[in-house]
Amino acid sequence: MAWHKPNSLTQAMQSLRLTSTLPKPSLQAPRTTLNTLRTRTYATEAESAPAAAAPEINFGSFTQKPARIIPASPSYFSGSPRFTDHVLKLEALQAKHASLPTVATSEAPRMAWFKLPQFRDYVGEPVPMKKYKSLVKILQRLNRIQPDMVPDEVRNTLSAFLRPGNPYAVENVPRTVDENGRARGKGKRKESTAVVQLVEGEGEVLVNGKSLVEAFKRVHDRESALWALRCTQRLDKYNAWIRVRGGGVTGQAEAITLALGRALLLHEPGLKPVLRKAGAITVDARRVERKKPGHVKARKMPTWVKR
Amino acid sequence: MIIRKLCMRQSRQLLALSRRAPISSRFQSTLPESPVETLQTPIRDEISRSENPLFEMVQAQSEASTPAQQEFTSDEPQRSNFKKLGTSVKSSYDPENVIRNPPKPSQISLEMLLAAGTHLGHSTSRWNPQNSRYIFGIREGVHIISLDVTAAHLRRAAKVVEEVAARGGLILFAGTRKGQKRAIVQAASLAKGYHIFERWIPGSLTNGEQILGHCETKVVNALDEELPDFKSDLADRPSLKPDLVICLNPLENVVLLHECGLNNVPTIGVIDTDADPTRVTYPIPSNDDSLRATCLIAGILGRAGEAGQLRRLKMAQEGRTSYTPITAQELRLDPFTGLATGADGQKK
Repeated sequence: MAWHKPNSLTQAMQSLRLTSTLPKPSLQAPRTTLNTLRTRTYATEAESAPAAAAPEINFGSFTQKPARIIPASPSYFSGSPRFTDHVLKLEALQAKHASLPTVATSEAPRMAWFKLPQFRDYVGEPVPMKKYKSLVKILQRLNRIQPDMVPDEVRNTLSAFLRPGNPYAVENVPRTVDENGRARGKGKRKESTAVVQLVEGEGEVLVNGKSLVEAFKRVHDRESALWALRCTQRLDKYNAWIRVRGGGVTGQAEAITLALGRALLLHEPGLKPVLRKAGAITVDARRVERKKPGHVKARKMPTWVKR
Repeated sequence: MIIRKLCMRQSRQLLALSRRAPISSRFQSTLPESPVETLQTPIRDEISRSENPLFEMVQAQSEASTPAQQEFTSDEPQRSNFKKLGTSVKSSYDPENVIRNPPKPSQISLEMLLAAGTHLGHSTSRWNPQNSRYIFGIREGVHIISLDVTAAHLRRAAKVVEEVAARGGLILFAGTRKGQKRAIVQAASLAKGYHIFERWIPGSLTNGEQILGHCETKVVNALDEELPDFKSDLADRPSLKPDLVICLNPLENVVLLHECGLNNVPTIGVIDTDADPTRVTYPIPSNDDSLRATCLIAGILGRAGEAGQLRRLKMAQEGRTSYTPITAQELRLDPFTGLATGADGQKK
């Protein structure tokens, strides 16, 4: 194999030899051939000088000649060679490092693997969901290796399957009251969204720039909007500036309840059990159920008519 | 004319029926009169035990940096001390060995085949009478396949694989049954062939453009080194077809064998007593339900392919090829029309 990848020294020698021999024959060769033609008149005549040895085999051109067209991957006939190669590589890695200690799934570092469409782009093949899930299973098993014992090859291989921009890198900073003494809370109910800015004060409330009585005609809605302050007897200790959008009156009032409860919790975290028990910080996640075809409403069926 | 057609249609099956061994004699061969003498030499474990991957890993991590790694590596002297104690098991059966280090075709012995259980066929009621020439007898309602026939057919198949590999053919190993995956992949890597361990996509040969069209191919020289200069010429080529297909479970891969038949691709198949031996070109009568048996056969054929590839590369190093290589000019021509691609481009 020495000839096929010559080192720089031999290359230099060869090039020297080539440059020294090549230009000469171009000028002198025609004359010499003519001379030999003249001197050798008969085929039977014995040659004066012994024939020069045949030139060396030019292996350079042999290695440059194409011989076969072959598949790029041994999984060519499976129809999805890149995916199959990935699976085989990961399985080999898993088998190799099977004896390394592992941690529980909850303690393993959280990794954002490719979503299926991203993975399909990555390998450029239409991979079915089920097969991708089996691949992710191997990734998760490799990820469970004890973090300070992970070999480099495993780390590098796993990083190839992460989607760009780690979504789990940023940790949520716990919210606090800001420098102006404002606590901000958001709440949702039905279609409504409320944002409450709560500051210490004398109990003034503005809902979308209007007073509470103007915003909510019903007493029940007013009660439920300020329920977080009422149940903790802090109606006269805070001022609230509220913005509420979407939905109806009840939804808006109960969205304010949740937002106010959350804002109050930032001022006084010790109130959490009271507010929880009073239902002021419990999220009501119910939404209107969609209408279905064949039904009058979400579930109501049209009345049965005989023919 | 009708009679001639009938002959053409039935002659393959008639040929497959054994004339030397009439069916009736098979039912009498259950009880041999004299006890069969067997070789007393035990099966020697010639294959060296593969090294423990854990040990290698520990070696690599000798410069342990973290406390956990240090703790893990600190047990190593203790382990090596205790290794000397106790008894040493000399000849044992390691199921991994047949996959990791399969035997060569020259090492095929009847004991090896018997140990792998290649002789166990199916219940007599499920037999295909075309297999009668391979059957040794009946035991407890199960057909027993003749081991010497299996060995002979296996050697022949190994020879075929070796010769195809030596001539630069594409060898496809197919084993789609559960558990055959590792043996198939290992055999394919030994023989520098190709593997299928999941479902064969019907039409991969007959409709290759659609199914394998997007899969990458490459142009290599006689030494199997890729030549990137010809990458642009591979764009509109038809998909590749294997030159030899080895099928470990022909019963489940009817479509694969059918397509191979249509495309004139020779096939090697493991034929159990319930399979049709005329479906494959080179049958290997053997048990196809035992993983140990099929893994052994795949391994032996993989080793045969390895020998063929070695031979081919050796020839290539001397500057010779045992096949007609594709020329650069052929590569530049349009594969369908046979015209120069440049002229084709001008037409458009």
